[in-house]
Amino acid sequence: MAWKPGGNVQTALFLIAAVAIVAFGAARSFVSMWEMDTIVPAPGFEKHMLSEWFEGIKDTPADTPVYIQEGSEPGGTVFVMGGTHPNEPASSLTAVLFLERAKVHKGRLIIVPFANIMAFTHNSPQEAHPQRISFTLPDGSLRSFRYGSRATNPIYQWPDPDVYIHPQSGQELAGSERSNLNRAHPGTPDGALTQRLAYALRQLVMAEKVDLAFDLHEASPEYPVVNAIVAHEKSMELAAMVAMELEISDIPIRLEPSPKNLRGLTHREWGDYTDTMPILMETGNPSQGRLRGRTDEDLVLTGADKYYAWAADLGLLFIPYETDQPIGLRIARHTSALMSFFDSLAFLDPSKEVVVSGIPAFGELAENGLGPYLSPLD
Amino acid sequence: MNWFWPEGLFAFLMVATFVFGAFSFKLPIAVAMSLAAVVGGLAAGEGLPVRHLVEGTFGYLDTILIIATAMIFMKVIERIGLLEAMAAWLIRKFKSSPLLLSLGIMLLIMIPGMITGSSTAAVLTTGALVAPVLMKLGVQIHKTAAAIAMGAIYGMIAPPINLPAMIIGGGIDMPYVGFGVPLLICTIPLAVVTALLLIYPGLRNKVRDEGALEGELRRMERVPITLRLFLPVAVLVVLLGGSSLFPSVFPSLGMPLEFLIASASAFLTGSRWKPVDTVTEAIDNALPVMGILMGVGMFIQVMTLTGVRGFVVVSALALPAWLLYVGIATSMPLFGAVSAFGSASVLGVPFLLALLGKNEILVGSALSLIAGLGDLMPPTALAGIFAAQVVGEENYFKVLRYCVTPAVLTALWGIAIILGAGYIAGVLY
Repeated sequence: MAWKPGGNVQTALFLIAAVAIVAFGAARSFVSMWEMDTIVPAPGFEKHMLSEWFEGIKDTPADTPVYIQEGSEPGGTVFVMGGTHPNEPASSLTAVLFLERAKVHKGRLIIVPFANIMAFTHNSPQEAHPQRISFTLPDGSLRSFRYGSRATNPIYQWPDPDVYIHPQSGQELAGSERSNLNRAHPGTPDGALTQRLAYALRQLVMAEKVDLAFDLHEASPEYPVVNAIVAHEKSMELAAMVAMELEISDIPIRLEPSPKNLRGLTHREWGDYTDTMPILMETGNPSQGRLRGRTDEDLVLTGADKYYAWAADLGLLFIPYETDQPIGLRIARHTSALMSFFDSLAFLDPSKEVVVSGIPAFGELAENGLGPYLSPLD
Repeated sequence: MNWFWPEGLFAFLMVATFVFGAFSFKLPIAVAMSLAAVVGGLAAGEGLPVRHLVEGTFGYLDTILIIATAMIFMKVIERIGLLEAMAAWLIRKFKSSPLLLSLGIMLLIMIPGMITGSSTAAVLTTGALVAPVLMKLGVQIHKTAAAIAMGAIYGMIAPPINLPAMIIGGGIDMPYVGFGVPLLICTIPLAVVTALLLIYPGLRNKVRDEGALEGELRRMERVPITLRLFLPVAVLVVLLGGSSLFPSVFPSLGMPLEFLIASASAFLTGSRWKPVDTVTEAIDNALPVMGILMGVGMFIQVMTLTGVRGFVVVSALALPAWLLYVGIATSMPLFGAVSAFGSASVLGVPFLLALLGKNEILVGSALSLIAGLGDLMPPTALAGIFAAQVVGEENYFKVLRYCVTPAVLTALWGIAIILGAGYIAGVLY
């Protein structure tokens, strides 16, 4: 039985109407991602915008909030950046946790929870990720956060070239990497928006004389650099101290040197172009991996996936994986590592000590998840 | 059974809907793919996932723009008389040196793919240019299309620009450095063999009716071949080559705009052509493939949503060691049915991770070569379907028949490079 499509004015009008309805429905869904996540900063944080450090992103979609809290005693300055890749939610949510809980006693804490805020407004095509993930608070209320994309939304920066050339090194990468903030460092003042954003972040690091800078990430469990600290030569001694301390605390972590020939990443470029000690950290996130099964909010929150369990049996993974990898555990890994870095910084230089309280311990987060530690919305 | 249920069932339902729609109901491939995606969503309890269906199509937005504008360019150079004039010139010049002509034509087909990383660009530019030459000189029509399709794929994989290799490398944070020689090893021997298999035998035969050929050549030369006639090609070479080879000094306008500017330059040369008429014909010709890509985008998104993608990928990776290579040689081209780039990303990266310890550059290069075969795989078959179009053949499967031998050789060569990666690396580095 062969069905031949007819072609007359009625069918054309019908198809146009059908397209309009589908486009309207899909557009409503896409536009819902433009709504900012609500944050409840802890007392003591001052809100700024990144454009205060580089005018070139003022009034552009790249401008993102920067929160600063100064302790009562002088000390070092630590910068925690989440949300370089919004499809790695433990990154931005760890930054949010510090923003909503931290009490700085000594030194200064700078937090950028949504580094590439332009990538929070869409999902990557063909990845089928959920648009939002939610956490239940002790009072029964819900807090939701966007699950975005690895790349800047193309409505802000498009088209990508066929090949992206990293401006400072001439390194060639697939063209889509031009929209990846973690291939844009140290940034250029007159490039595309993502490159300008990287430049603005570098200006912040330099102007605020950041001693220790973190770029938080997640990686797929089959990727070798996962559950890991990646450190520039400058940061290696400190990172080694932290890795040892985490191992002693039964939190196994890899320590990887920043490759010199892989350019555009924070751990390389902030180390080479600024005075800070850069650290990049990765936890294992099954919802961004290529081996995952059904893709939904539950997978993001629990990391439970039968195909990852199968892959673990086959010896294909670089994290210990039995049945799940909850987001509470992933945030706990980042949080414990950060707190350990804060403690260890004083060993290197006591005048740079940073003392922060109010952050839940590894066991508490791993056990209870993130919800109990978020502040309720008014 | 746990590994199969329910994802295996969803996969079966989606494939069955596609096959039933495309072959029993003779629906357009694009519509059958879309229906398969809808059925997958419904079966998995996602209802009619409008957001996912639309979002999936955006994965191919850039590709569709390239296809549309490359097709406009091809139609324009045909209308101004450049295609025929160039073909006539090549025939007169080289018809007495079939071996040289075979190899030269293969290289000519590859060049746009090498520069742009796109097999479609190769087929619709130099592929369209050489198609009439080959057919006039006696190469059978389907072999001509097969040679163009294979040459375009080898061009896409050959250095300096190989997007599947960049995608695979990007998946493990491996910079695209040091791929030049490995990619030449992957492609040049295959290009030579394919030229000798598909082009040379046809060119070696003496043309039976010299008088008829001469008459045909005169007809083809009604627009005299001058440097000015090459203006659109020259503009395209400058725009594409400049931004690819000298990116620091030459701005990248994006391939679609570059094709359009090159097409517009054709107003200044050759026969007069009607822009609306030409563009309409071009879009009309490209529409089925553009529609297929939209359908495929929906299909992949729903595969990912429902877990079918993980089912496919982990099933391939779970093959025993000796079968892993068979899995690579079959699953990557087959997954290429949804696109070579998709195959490189979804399967290429896990396969490279599974093969860590061998020389990653050589393995990545070989995987990109095998992924490239996806451009022959229906329903998308970007290289194959457009190659059939440039020779005027409506049934792509007649062309695919002649691609089988070089494609099998390509897969075997890719596997041989992976197996011998350690040895080759020892010689090279």
